[in-house]
Amino acid sequence: MAVMAKKGKKEVPALSTSSLPDIIFMLLFFFMAATTMRETDPLVTVAMPEAHEITELDKKNLVNVWMGKPLSAKGQEGDALMIQLNDQTGDVADIQNFVAASAVTKKMDVQSLTVNLRVDEGATVGKLTAVKQELRKADALSISYAARAVENN
Amino acid sequence: MARGKKKAGEINSSSMADIAFLLLIFFLVTTTMDVDTGMKRTLPKWVDTTEQQNDVDVNERNVLKVNVSKSGMIMVGTDEYVPNDLRRNGRHSRLSQEVYNFLTLPDRSAKKATEIDGMNYDISEGLVSLKADDETKYKIYLQVQDELTHAFNLYRDDISLKVYGKKYGELEDIQANNIRKAVPMRISEAEPNDQTKK
Repeated sequence: MAVMAKKGKKEVPALSTSSLPDIIFMLLFFFMAATTMRETDPLVTVAMPEAHEITELDKKNLVNVWMGKPLSAKGQEGDALMIQLNDQTGDVADIQNFVAASAVTKKMDVQSLTVNLRVDEGATVGKLTAVKQELRKADALSISYAARAVENN
Repeated sequence: MARGKKKAGEINSSSMADIAFLLLIFFLVTTTMDVDTGMKRTLPKWVDTTEQQNDVDVNERNVLKVNVSKSGMIMVGTDEYVPNDLRRNGRHSRLSQEVYNFLTLPDRSAKKATEIDGMNYDISEGLVSLKADDETKYKIYLQVQDELTHAFNLYRDDISLKVYGKKYGELEDIQANNIRKAVPMRISEAEPNDQTKK
């Protein structure tokens, strides 16, 4: 009989892969929830300085101002530092308008924004002061100096 | 015959995993996980240049001047240079020690009774005035800021231990807030026009 014949060559059943999509979907949802979309393309490179006493910043009220060397592909090359506001390069004089515009898009007061200064470690304090003066004029008084944690303490 | 009740064929779901993988990889590539970290500061309000002359009077005794020169030399007070040594292997730098001493020692800065959680504690009114040359590199400037923050955090640890018996970093949000309010990080970043007048 056919049933009897099968008994002899009993096989290990194939591993069920039907739950594989579920596992992958779970991973997918985890990454979707835990991450944020990259909003802006960097136009300048910033060598982030290191520091010990840093805190995590709340992304919700964060406005980024970059100051670094321009990327060679875009615009002029050289040592001159360039300022990037959101997705375009700007000038120190544009900062006031930029902060006001960011406050409108985030539906917040200018005072409750935190301006994250991502400044290249090779920049000079004079340049930084110019930016800070503009921020004071714009009444954006809460700032943070972006820095990464020191690796080997 | 079975022909009458022929069932619709099942959809092959073996490619589902591949589709999900593709989506997963797409999100992995387009997203960033990094958290923004930085050192928080509050800038002073902007005032017109005409009003700027009459600054708030702060007792000279309660101000510790920290100057950073073009080349990165750090001067504390009026005539004392401190080595530009970085904090390594958990050792405190001279700069943060100087600032910490300034805040804690009774003869260096005035103490004022401040209420924390219903009790009064003597808190230093010391202010650190940081001046840096326009040509100073940002890297050095931030290192100095780091050391100053460290000194204030050490002081907050002291106060926190007195009040709550725990270090500042281990406090709960409300308690940490109380300490932050009572011991503000009094670091003044000098105005650019201050540098012209010696």
